[in-house]
Amino acid sequence: MSNAPALAEGFPDLSSLRIARESHWGRWLTAIIILAIVVMIGRAFAQGQIEWSYVGRFLTAPVIVQGIVNTMVMAVLGMALGIVLGIIVAIMRLSPNPVLKSVAAGYTWLFRGTPLILQLLLWFNLALVFPTIGIPGVWTARAVDVMTPFLAALLGLGINQGAYTSEVMRAGLLSVDIGQYEAAQAIGMGRLHALRRIVLPQAMRVVLPPLGNEFIGLVKATSLASVIQYPEVLHNAENIYYANSRVIELLIVAGLWYLLVVSILTPLQMLLERRFARGMVRLGR
Amino acid sequence: MARLSLVAGLAVLASLASGQAAELPDAIRQAGALHLTVNSTYAPMEYRDPASNELVGLDIDLANELAKRLNVKIVWSETAFAELIPALQTKRADFIMSGISDRASRRETADFVDYLVTGPQFFVLAESGSKVAADLCGKKIGTTRSTSFPAEIETWSKQACESAGKPAAQYVPGENSIDVRNQLKQGRIDAAVQGSETLPYAQQLEAGKYRIVGEPISIGYQGIMFRKDDATFREVVTSALKAMIADGSYKAILDKYGLGANAVREPLLNAAPQ
Amino acid sequence: MKKPLVAIRKISKSFGEFQALKQVSLDIWPREVVCLIGQSGSGKTTLLRCVNQLTAVDSGGIWLDGELLGMREQGGKLHRLSEPEIARQRLKCGMVFQRFNLFPHMTALENIIEGPVQVQKRKASEAKFEAMELLCRVGLAEKANSYPSQLSGGQQQRVAIARALAMKPELVLFDEPTSALDPELVGEVLAVMKELATSGMTMLVVTHELGFAREVADRVVYMDQGVIVESGSAKEVLGSPREARTRAFLAAEV
Repeated sequence: MSNAPALAEGFPDLSSLRIARESHWGRWLTAIIILAIVVMIGRAFAQGQIEWSYVGRFLTAPVIVQGIVNTMVMAVLGMALGIVLGIIVAIMRLSPNPVLKSVAAGYTWLFRGTPLILQLLLWFNLALVFPTIGIPGVWTARAVDVMTPFLAALLGLGINQGAYTSEVMRAGLLSVDIGQYEAAQAIGMGRLHALRRIVLPQAMRVVLPPLGNEFIGLVKATSLASVIQYPEVLHNAENIYYANSRVIELLIVAGLWYLLVVSILTPLQMLLERRFARGMVRLGR
Repeated sequence: MARLSLVAGLAVLASLASGQAAELPDAIRQAGALHLTVNSTYAPMEYRDPASNELVGLDIDLANELAKRLNVKIVWSETAFAELIPALQTKRADFIMSGISDRASRRETADFVDYLVTGPQFFVLAESGSKVAADLCGKKIGTTRSTSFPAEIETWSKQACESAGKPAAQYVPGENSIDVRNQLKQGRIDAAVQGSETLPYAQQLEAGKYRIVGEPISIGYQGIMFRKDDATFREVVTSALKAMIADGSYKAILDKYGLGANAVREPLLNAAPQ
Repeated sequence: MKKPLVAIRKISKSFGEFQALKQVSLDIWPREVVCLIGQSGSGKTTLLRCVNQLTAVDSGGIWLDGELLGMREQGGKLHRLSEPEIARQRLKCGMVFQRFNLFPHMTALENIIEGPVQVQKRKASEAKFEAMELLCRVGLAEKANSYPSQLSGGQQQRVAIARALAMKPELVLFDEPTSALDPELVGEVLAVMKELATSGMTMLVVTHELGFAREVADRVVYMDQGVIVESGSAKEVLGSPREARTRAFLAAEV
């Protein structure tokens, strides 16, 4: 200490001064303005030509509740189909076999490149092209009997979702270090065996968060199935307003239910991300 | 004296003429135009010509003729069927003339000037075995779900099928009349119901494909839909329509679309039975 | 006459325009420890990876235990073997990677038994028992249930060595096993490798650790630009190299 050089003059001692808290008055002002705008919009809605009694009356109507249940069932099943297809197609896309690679690329191109509503309508109206379907000699059926609104919606939504999911899965598979794959090969695993045991489990931890996001989008995409008569919540709300002309009121009912579902799914997705991020930290070197 | 009565007569004529124009709502008079909204997916009433993409149809022609007599232009807009009534309520449209049926449930906030006879009509594929309406008991019958026809089918089924000990008809929903005809072609439904005014056009599009079965299951009217507080305006339009019927231009337009049989003798007010 | 465990005859490999191996030939005898040294790009890693077929040769042949690797001779032409057949051939070689490549979603023990249970279809209990023995051998018995992210680099590499040994290979390939380690962790890995060599395992080691080569290697092979420049005992190649290129390399390495 006695050997330290003397400090230069001219710099005051601030160590005893406290740092004042910032007032952030700009933030308060902005918040008040935004709140005022929200209140104004709310008042306009409350006083507008919307009969809120209809909203209250139909919010828990059995046909609406059944509709949102059907929405969720289709979203879950459609996502499941989309994930299964997505994994298969992603693996095909990364295969050394050029035939598999082209089929996978073609599938992704076709089903991402056409509107979902078109796909739904084509599935539902399959009988225009294939009046009967089945395996010749084993089982045949009329396409219109097999292709119910439920099945058409499931195929349309699931196969479309698979095209998007396959890209997420492909990114996930590519994100796994190639050394993992080589280490699996070095202990004698074949390509598919290595994918199943080593690469996919690591890829899943990366892709599950974006898949949660896709799922939330799919919940709302199910509303397109209303045009093929699948009785999800929008379809049922429409039936009500076709009878009583209360268009906006019933759409608000459907909108509130979608909002509720997404409000539940969003924190669930964050929980999922956090849980797998813990795993990710474990994965770090 | 003669000059006085001539001047008086001219004055009366002038006031009548300006009175006629004065009875049009201010907004329309100032704009010199009617704002009309149609759901242009309903041939032959209003639709887009596939070749020229122009807005055409029976309602379009009738409205244009009305507008000529009222000395105004028309500004057309289009929307979904379910949005027509909100368009009237929010005053985006001055009146609705878009193949909309006069129905009691719609008369809470509106009045209808009925100008076309209509009614739900059964039809099947030409090769179908159903010959009379009674053959359709127990069968799958499809129609556009946004119309009043599902309820009509149910009523008909109760009267004509269930009370006669036959199985009830099964209603199958469709999105629009084209979707319904598609389902008929694929065999998802055995019969379909459309407004009788749409069938000549459908048969003309696909000659020999469809066959009408029985008579319309109820009689109704297509109406021009006005807001309840637009009574004076409504009367002005009604008189113009009366004039069109009187001088034959109304019938001529209907015949152009093969719907001469659906003509009314005179415009009716809120005349539909249901 | 005894046959070499690995016989490499005139193999060549190009990556696009770049020729990594030019007609290289080499014998590796059972129980031998051979160290491959040379600069990066000399082809030593490519040579190593050709032995367990992570890289496929363009021409020439490698025989492992008398069996031609990756190909079948038929009617004067060579036909590539199918993927399952190549996977089976890999079972005779173990490999230890520069970056360990442990499976991060499995514990150390699970990493080691993965091959024996999944590929060799051995009973899990038997595999676990042997895995614990191997962990003891590399000095990490207490880390059996740790995940790779909980282990230091040196510990991970030792687990990787145990994982390779669990497959009971006939030879173990080492691709610069200590290059990715902090200096103070290198020693523990080299110690395990030394023990392995003493126990009689055939080892082909690509390394920059000349001290290890001097101590443990039976033979040192110096490669440069895709060819073997010099080959001989550690004392010969490292102590008194014949070739000028070898001398230049060794001078730079010090």
